[in-house]
Amino acid sequence: MNKIGSFLKDYLVFVMILGLALVTAIIQPKFISPANLVNIMRQFGPLILVSLGMTFVIVGGFIDLSVAGTINLVAVVTISLIDPLGQVGALATGLVLGSICGALNAVLILTGGATTQAEALFITFGMSTVYSSVALIYSGGSTFHFWDLKAPPDIFEAIGAGSLGPLSISFVIFLFALAVLWVFHTKTAAGRAISLTGGNKTAARLSGVPTNRSIVLIYTIAGFMAAMGAIVLFSRITTAAPVIGAGFETNAILAVVVGGTTLKGGKGSVLRTVMGVLLVILLNNCLNLLGVSSYMQWAARGAILVFAIWLDNRKEVQGNQL
Amino acid sequence: MNRVYRLFTQQKALVAIAVIVVVMILAGGDPSRIFFSSYNLLDMLNSSTILVILGLGVTLTIIAGGCDLSIGGILVVSGILSIKLQDFMPMPLALLVAVLFGTLVGFVNGFLVVQQKTEPFIITLGVGLLLTGVAQQLSDAHPVPASNPDFMNIANGYQLGDGQFTPGHFPGIPNLVIIMVVCFIFFAWLIRYTAFGRNLYAIGGDYDVARYSGIDVIKNKWMTLVISGTMAALGGVLLSSKLNTGSAIYGDFTALVVNCGVVVGGTSFAGGVGGIWQSVLGLLLFGLLDNAMNVLNIPSWYQMMLKGTVIVAILWLDSYTQKRKRELV
Repeated sequence: MNKIGSFLKDYLVFVMILGLALVTAIIQPKFISPANLVNIMRQFGPLILVSLGMTFVIVGGFIDLSVAGTINLVAVVTISLIDPLGQVGALATGLVLGSICGALNAVLILTGGATTQAEALFITFGMSTVYSSVALIYSGGSTFHFWDLKAPPDIFEAIGAGSLGPLSISFVIFLFALAVLWVFHTKTAAGRAISLTGGNKTAARLSGVPTNRSIVLIYTIAGFMAAMGAIVLFSRITTAAPVIGAGFETNAILAVVVGGTTLKGGKGSVLRTVMGVLLVILLNNCLNLLGVSSYMQWAARGAILVFAIWLDNRKEVQGNQL
Repeated sequence: MNRVYRLFTQQKALVAIAVIVVVMILAGGDPSRIFFSSYNLLDMLNSSTILVILGLGVTLTIIAGGCDLSIGGILVVSGILSIKLQDFMPMPLALLVAVLFGTLVGFVNGFLVVQQKTEPFIITLGVGLLLTGVAQQLSDAHPVPASNPDFMNIANGYQLGDGQFTPGHFPGIPNLVIIMVVCFIFFAWLIRYTAFGRNLYAIGGDYDVARYSGIDVIKNKWMTLVISGTMAALGGVLLSSKLNTGSAIYGDFTALVVNCGVVVGGTSFAGGVGGIWQSVLGLLLFGLLDNAMNVLNIPSWYQMMLKGTVIVAILWLDSYTQKRKRELV
């Protein structure tokens, strides 16, 4: 009985949204149609990649609001470089650019000594504005399209719409990224150091964990994964506007937190985030099929974010009382 | 040397304002003349008032070691409510209900953040998200026009004059500026001369020490969020009156900008330091910066970049000063 209780407490949000999916499936049988399930798999792409990166930042005890700006910048820069540099060159430049944006956040946070989540939140918000404005200035505010390119970008088209057997290529990219990041987080010293840094920064530093290296790593990973997300995103919609990334930061934080990674840092895993993203996407899909307006969907997301954090906190408080 | 360092680190907003003024003097010619005209200066003050009113409430939450990112959501919902409710009830009552809505949200924020001890940044961000969605639903994502001239007059009227700018003629004082000054005096008194205000510094400085000294930390900190919500709603009502429309789009950026402005002024996220004066300077800095960039004809994307850079630079400096202080101890 106690076991069921603690399972429910750990996965209450999961159970709730599973219930929502069940209700949707009964009211709207289209929900379990193959077309809709493929649709859900396709939506998985960009958000999950960004959220996987965000997981590391949150496990490390920080937060990153700059991913929206990074996505904007990487998307327009990458697509504009396909003609001059070729596809591989553009792809590599985009990924490097994303990592640099992330590393820049970390440098600002470290040199300023912004050791709290709050300070990091505002600094990365400011940087998001800077990255977005650079994207706007670079692109002149215009949108880039695949059909304007000299040659059809077959690599990007494959990322966006191709499939490998039953799985879409973006899904394969996700599985690969998940495997690499999971091994990195659980099996390497650098990965464990991130969890230790998030658990208690001072204690970690005093026991010889390289906390500064962890902070640089988490933001660089977040920037790199945001760049991956940007590439998958514009490949799928075959256009890149300098405002393409808006809203990704809140959705990614929502997915990570709903998955059960605590905002206090130190606890969490990329596997939980996968669950969180699945729930966020299922929720959107359910609400769409149920005909809820997109405005109320925003409200629902906000409410779930608040609820998930509150619940997470309740667990903590009860854990302390035991 | 030490004094120069202190001036730069403690009065960042003042230094930044001085820099802008010097730049505008050096710019010379038309931009300089337009910028320093009495019309422009008054207009700038007038357009900063709503940010300042929001900032007053937020200052209390930050001094007490919290923050409030839901103000953008409260602003838009109460702005729309103040117009929509006029169809059902007399105007003063509608405005009162709209402001009380902010009080209610602040109360809920306080429950979640203070009583349940959750992370204020993310929780209030989530509440803001929720309210922005509600505002879009209420307004169907369209601007909601108001039709009552009395309502429009609240924020657009002038006292002691007719608002006409002709040479040798006193234009009067805008109502918004009067409202801002009244709020400012009230908050300055509240924070300096009441037990509540002094307690906030103690709570922000060290929560546990304040608790063991017998301060009702939960009640006091809860109150800051209630006040901040109320001020955000007041700001929303005034904004709707000023523009004569309510819309869901103004909230997106406002919350982060206001919180940044307060910190830029010198109220630190570390809690326990800061004041009302500093916040007003910090928020006026943003108004001044916007205005100066417009007068200098800087394209909007470059404005965005400049503003982002200023935010990051000043926040970085804020953290850096704290770090220096820790290292000295």
